[in-house]
Amino acid sequence: MTFRQFAFNNVKRNTRTYLSYFLSCMFAVIVFFMYAVVIFHPKIEKYDFRDIVQSGIIVSEVFIYLFSFLFVLYSTTSFIKSRKKEYGLLTTLGISKSQLNRLLITENTIIGLASIITGIIIGALLTKLFLMIFSAILGTGEILPFYLSWKAIGITVALFFIMFELNSIAVVWSLRTKSIMEVFRGTKTPKEKPRFSWILSLLALTAIGYSYYLAYTSDMISILYRMFIILALIIPGTYFLFTQFIIGFTTVLRRRKKYLYKDLNLLMISDLTYKLKDHARLLFIVTILSAVAFTSSGVLFGLFQSVEEESERFAPQDVTLISGGEENREAFEANVAEIESAFQQNYVPFEALTVYPTRLYSISTIDKWNDTPFIVYKYSDYKAMLQLNDREVPSKLKDNEGLILIQDIIRSYTMDFPEKLTFKSANERAELSVSTIDSDLNSTVYSSFQLIVSDHAFEQFIQHATADEKYFYYVMDIPNWVHHVDTIMDILPYTTTDEIYPDSQAEIYSSMKDSMSYLFFFGIFISVLFFLAAGSILYFRMYQDIDNDLSHYHSLYRIGLTNKEMKKIATRQLGFLFFLPFIIAVIHAGFAFKALQNMLVSSVMLPSIYIFLLYFVIHFFNFIFIRNIYTSKLKKVM
Amino acid sequence: MQVLKADNLTKIYGSKRGRSYEALHHFHLTVNKGEFIGIMGPSGSGKTTLLNLLSTIDVPSSGKIIINEKNLTSFSQQKLAKFRRKEMGFIFQDYNLLETLTIGENILLPLTLNKMKVKEMEKRLVTVSKQLGIDTIIHKRIMEVSGGQMQRAAIARAIIHDPTIIFADEPTGNLDSKASLQVMESLRQLQQENQATTVMVTHDPFAASFCGRVIFIKDGRLFNEIHRGDNRQSFFQDILNVQSLLGGNTNDLQTIRF
Repeated sequence: MTFRQFAFNNVKRNTRTYLSYFLSCMFAVIVFFMYAVVIFHPKIEKYDFRDIVQSGIIVSEVFIYLFSFLFVLYSTTSFIKSRKKEYGLLTTLGISKSQLNRLLITENTIIGLASIITGIIIGALLTKLFLMIFSAILGTGEILPFYLSWKAIGITVALFFIMFELNSIAVVWSLRTKSIMEVFRGTKTPKEKPRFSWILSLLALTAIGYSYYLAYTSDMISILYRMFIILALIIPGTYFLFTQFIIGFTTVLRRRKKYLYKDLNLLMISDLTYKLKDHARLLFIVTILSAVAFTSSGVLFGLFQSVEEESERFAPQDVTLISGGEENREAFEANVAEIESAFQQNYVPFEALTVYPTRLYSISTIDKWNDTPFIVYKYSDYKAMLQLNDREVPSKLKDNEGLILIQDIIRSYTMDFPEKLTFKSANERAELSVSTIDSDLNSTVYSSFQLIVSDHAFEQFIQHATADEKYFYYVMDIPNWVHHVDTIMDILPYTTTDEIYPDSQAEIYSSMKDSMSYLFFFGIFISVLFFLAAGSILYFRMYQDIDNDLSHYHSLYRIGLTNKEMKKIATRQLGFLFFLPFIIAVIHAGFAFKALQNMLVSSVMLPSIYIFLLYFVIHFFNFIFIRNIYTSKLKKVM
Repeated sequence: MQVLKADNLTKIYGSKRGRSYEALHHFHLTVNKGEFIGIMGPSGSGKTTLLNLLSTIDVPSSGKIIINEKNLTSFSQQKLAKFRRKEMGFIFQDYNLLETLTIGENILLPLTLNKMKVKEMEKRLVTVSKQLGIDTIIHKRIMEVSGGQMQRAAIARAIIHDPTIIFADEPTGNLDSKASLQVMESLRQLQQENQATTVMVTHDPFAASFCGRVIFIKDGRLFNEIHRGDNRQSFFQDILNVQSLLGGNTNDLQTIRF
């Protein structure tokens, strides 16, 4: 048997130990490869979104690669650790350091190559499906044909081969620093009593509580700087939650004799304390990864879902056209006629009306409100526009009253509005007592604010208005506008050189949808990746623990623990380790959703529940899977 | 009074197709209440197999085991496990203590499984730990105490629930001579004071000399049986004599302890 055969047999005959390691490496290769296929797909160059999408993919590829690098490094380290005893045996048999290194590197190379090859094969099989999803989300119309470029295969093989080699060298190097005795003792070093500090536990809880508070009370503006504070608090907070608080919690639980000495509690809790201590860092990583996955996919999904409502918020009226100045009247009317006939030709039903507002400037001692332009409508026009959109109409205004409409986005800037304002045109001025409400008209290029006055007051202004103070405002109501977005975008004179400014929900909708769909595609993909990585790290670790636990269960079996009880203990412990990080991540993400909710009008409640449910199902299957492996192993102890 | 009766016990290892090996051949044994029995024999003679069968950790190929007039061979796995933790106490060569628990918690373990009141548990813990001289270390962890102390903790765990019978598998196998003496003294004391019934497998004549009766097994069959007189020294000599009759390597049998 040559040395290489020895290494090869080592891998071949230890399939079970190598399997989970192999699978996690393969998983990284599959994901990377599928994205690479899209990058090098020849058809993709034809699409106009190519630049954005391709740079998006490349960014994701870099992410995936860096992430797999850490992931494989982690897997390799824990894998090598679990086999320390074997290396100790080889060392006592007289294997030299360089031979041992060569053995490790050869073994790792074999696994690496195997996972690259199978990863590419499975990736190739899944590519068609991936391309279909890709085409559907980006709306390319046709499905990208199946195509495997040599470039994609080449780059995957090269990058992952380098990764495996670098990783095994790094691991070999870290093994080198430890003495033979340490290697030989391996995993068998006696366990220390779990320790914790109350102060750190309290600090952890305070940090988490405070960042929850910050997230809960944030709004669109404050979230921008609060985000960093929240991150700076929540990450160490979660870390100490696992390394300190939970240990403290179980320690307190252990002090309560009545509870501890009941049934299986003694076994379950004492063992769990050690497991929590041993896995604290792992659980922390899993929690953070899952929280990131939940939050980003929830936020993206929530935004994606709310595009319609958000565009209605930014543009309350379906389609509007505004122009100012007597000299533009002709062009404006021509445009309106053109649009109406185009809508009729395309069978898009609509109702429309034209109103004639004017423009005034405010005068005020408050600097902010001095010389601000307002587009002014008379009450009956305002009423007609609202009725067109089936909205509620506010009660009639008196002659000395004015109603100022403010977009809710900028509302927080426009507080301390004076109770009385003077408005002036070129020839006229009047003082009105003003009140404000959320705007239900579109904002215009001429002014962010609209003013509603009584018909009588309006007549005073318009009669003396100069030519350039006369405005034309065309309003359309299109039932089910979401279905006609593309038609609306084609018809509206966005590219006209005339001084006519269209505004529509369709415009906001399509630009939001465009940027969102790219973001959605890459964001969801990366978050799912994070989540799966978190799951497989957990899975991998539990799988390795089985062998250690078996001897523990064998001891218990001999003194008369039934199989049912062993299953119960194992299930509860595994369940705790699986779902504790999940639940904490859900709570973290829940507060992130609340922060998102504070910025949006549409509810993110349902989308976020969908996201949680989806992840829960995946996580639950993962749990059932590992639990079944675990309990079937338990039968063997008897 | 008869506590344990083994009837015609046979154990055959190996699959139907492969080579099979008969570890125990039609073996009979009765144990009376308060007896302290040693089982000896060269390695591979079937003594550990016998103990595993008697303690229901392993299932016989044929034959019956009756403890407290209950036929255990007809019990289900589940029922056996429950029976084990109620009626049996175990002492192992590797102590079999859980390192996640303190000494005291390890001793209490059978009681928590049998659902007992906390006050009663703590009372019993104090009694047995005093009896075995380990009352000062019950709050310590497994790694902090010596082998002899660990084995005495294991004995405490084996007797705390007042079992019908105690099984000991090479209890002195991992101990030095001083610790062996302490452990064996405690076992004998239990037998004398509590009328504990004990079946012990050992290859150590010194440990065996504490028993009231020693049976020798060779190739899965009973080879000899000797009873102890008044003098432990002479009993020890008797055991050595039988061992040399058993043949094999004298190095295997000779002990340098004493």
